[in-house]
Amino acid sequence: MSAGLSQDRIKHAFLWPAFLLVLAISLFPLIYALIVSFQSVRLVPPLPPRFVGFDNYAEILQSARFWGSMRVTATITLASVALQYVLGFALALALHHNVPGASLYRVTFLLPMFLAPVGVALIARMIFHPFLGPVNDLFTTLGFGHVEFLTRAGPAIAVLVTIEVWQWTPFVTLLMLAGLQSLPHEVFEAAKVDDISPWRRFWDITFPMLLPLSVAVVFIRLVEGFKVIDTVFVLTGGGPGTATETLTLFAYNEGFKKFNLGMTSALSFTFLFVVIVFGTIYLALAQRLVRRVT
Amino acid sequence: MPHVEMEGVTKAFGAVTVIPPLDLMIDKGEFLVLVGPSGCGKTTTLRMLAGLEEVSGGTIRIGGRDVTHLRPGARDCAMVFQNYALYPHMTVRENIGYAMRVHGTPRATIAERVEEASRLLGLEPYLDRKPRMLSGGQRQRVAIGRALVRHPEVFLFDEPLSNLDAKLRVEMRTEIKLLQRRLGTTAVYVTHDQVEAMTMADRVVVMRAGVIEQAADPITLYEKPANRFVANFIGSPAMNFLSARLADGSVVTDGQVLPLAPEDAARLGPRESIVFGIRPEHMRSSEHQASLTFGAEAVEPLGPHTLVLGRLGGERVTAQVDPRFPVAAGQPCTVPVDMTQAHFFDPDTGLRL
Ligand SMILES: Nc1ncnc2c1ncn2[C@@H]1O[C@H](COP(=O)(O)OP(=O)(O)OP(=O)(O)O)[C@@H](O)[C@H]1O
Ligand SMILES: [Mg+2]
Repeated sequence: MSAGLSQDRIKHAFLWPAFLLVLAISLFPLIYALIVSFQSVRLVPPLPPRFVGFDNYAEILQSARFWGSMRVTATITLASVALQYVLGFALALALHHNVPGASLYRVTFLLPMFLAPVGVALIARMIFHPFLGPVNDLFTTLGFGHVEFLTRAGPAIAVLVTIEVWQWTPFVTLLMLAGLQSLPHEVFEAAKVDDISPWRRFWDITFPMLLPLSVAVVFIRLVEGFKVIDTVFVLTGGGPGTATETLTLFAYNEGFKKFNLGMTSALSFTFLFVVIVFGTIYLALAQRLVRRVT
Repeated sequence: MPHVEMEGVTKAFGAVTVIPPLDLMIDKGEFLVLVGPSGCGKTTTLRMLAGLEEVSGGTIRIGGRDVTHLRPGARDCAMVFQNYALYPHMTVRENIGYAMRVHGTPRATIAERVEEASRLLGLEPYLDRKPRMLSGGQRQRVAIGRALVRHPEVFLFDEPLSNLDAKLRVEMRTEIKLLQRRLGTTAVYVTHDQVEAMTMADRVVVMRAGVIEQAADPITLYEKPANRFVANFIGSPAMNFLSARLADGSVVTDGQVLPLAPEDAARLGPRESIVFGIRPEHMRSSEHQASLTFGAEAVEPLGPHTLVLGRLGGERVTAQVDPRFPVAAGQPCTVPVDMTQAHFFDPDTGLRL
């Protein structure tokens, strides 16, 4: 009895420090930021903080720029993740089935993932330069018109999507390849003996068996994709106008160009809220799909 | 014309030759069982028939058609894998009907065949479960059902009963055999359980290291094993082998003289060195009876009969005797030997004499 009690006390001795540490490191900044988001805090010109309630949030929701950045972010993320998934899965299949040339690619395919996004963006800026870039050279040679990739809204978004896809497809390939290699071999042999075509084998066996993994991979890429800022910042700076401004870039501009910290905090929380809502919806839908298929 | 023909088929994995040239003809509707010790190439042979393993040389024909380089699906074989290979995300019903559905079999036919197979295999209560919610034996039955409903040219079974309990195994082997006979489908069945082999087969092929040691019907295999390996492999407990010589119409082993049956005496003549083989169950009285005395080391009562394990001049001897036979461990024991059931092998080549 007494041994049990003292053990109980020891349990607390082990648990509380860790709990407090987590609280201090992760929760405190969050709570602090939440409080700031209800205040008006300006560094330039320096004014004392003032409690403004939900004013910051109201202002955000009423600003066309916020909704514009939402649309841009959603477009870039959805388009690029969809392409990453399809291309990444296709490449993983090619690697898994040892398509000729696959071994060469196997060595190099991870490289884009290791590059810093800012570096990638700088290179892309050269490649897509309206006058000096090779892409426009190619377009001109092929007889297409000259495209102002980075200074018109549509092409600029297309370029941003392309960069995202180029950089993150290997990540999808890597995970899907690991998934493919973990599938039981005999199941596919059974299907071969039963004369199931490769096409049907993929749709009826491979795809459903990898669906849970697919859901996770797409989720990771969606959440990551939502935070896109560096490539946009370098490539277009959110321009022309605010046509390519993403949520994170919008928040950055508020914070570091206008030094409106209250507003920036409120934006961050709005961003968090958006990610949580979309993430939850996505996971709920995915869960139902997975349960139906597996 | 044989239904399935393997002609000079070889298989090498890299530098290792697993199957040296192998010839095997299987008749239409025949139930052929491949037996042999672990690693002798049974699964490899079956996989080459299925097309899952490319042959290194030779020709395979099914129904007169050269299938050596055809993809597995074009050979019209149905295979039951050693580890089930069920589609994990499909229910039992879907697993069994999947191939038919893909190949455009009418819905009604699929439902009918699935129902028939599940009734036969006792799978009705599980039709809507996923494989992960089934026991090993149930999964194996689903795998069998999946092969049955296809009505293929050839059934290929790779140890399909190895995960079932003894009772179910006995039931299932009868079911499979009856079903195969009713469908008249040629079947190749791999097992290392010799009882399964003997009870199911029209013809048993005993393999060792990729080589066919003997291919014959079960009774011939038991009564006239072609060599010492087959004699040792078929039958449980295994045959006793004693080094002996033949003189004056008798077997002389370890100083004991056992008179031969007249036909054997005439056929074999005198020999300096021979291997005398006698099955434990043939240590019994008969009209050509001899007796053998050996040192009993252990007595194992099994109920219907008792096993006496012992030694004779350094060689192991097992005798199967009546439960009331007077014997005690550590004592010499004299058993009758039915000399009409004696086997003789060449000591150098191991071949039957
Ligand atoms: N993919 C492979 N690569 C190299 N060697 C292999 C391969 N598959 C089988 N072997 C070898 O071929 C031999 C025959 O194997 P096989 O699987 O046909 O044996 P088996 O008779 O089915 O045995 P078991 O009764 O244990 O299932 C073994 O020695 C094995 O090590
Ligand atoms: Mg095997």
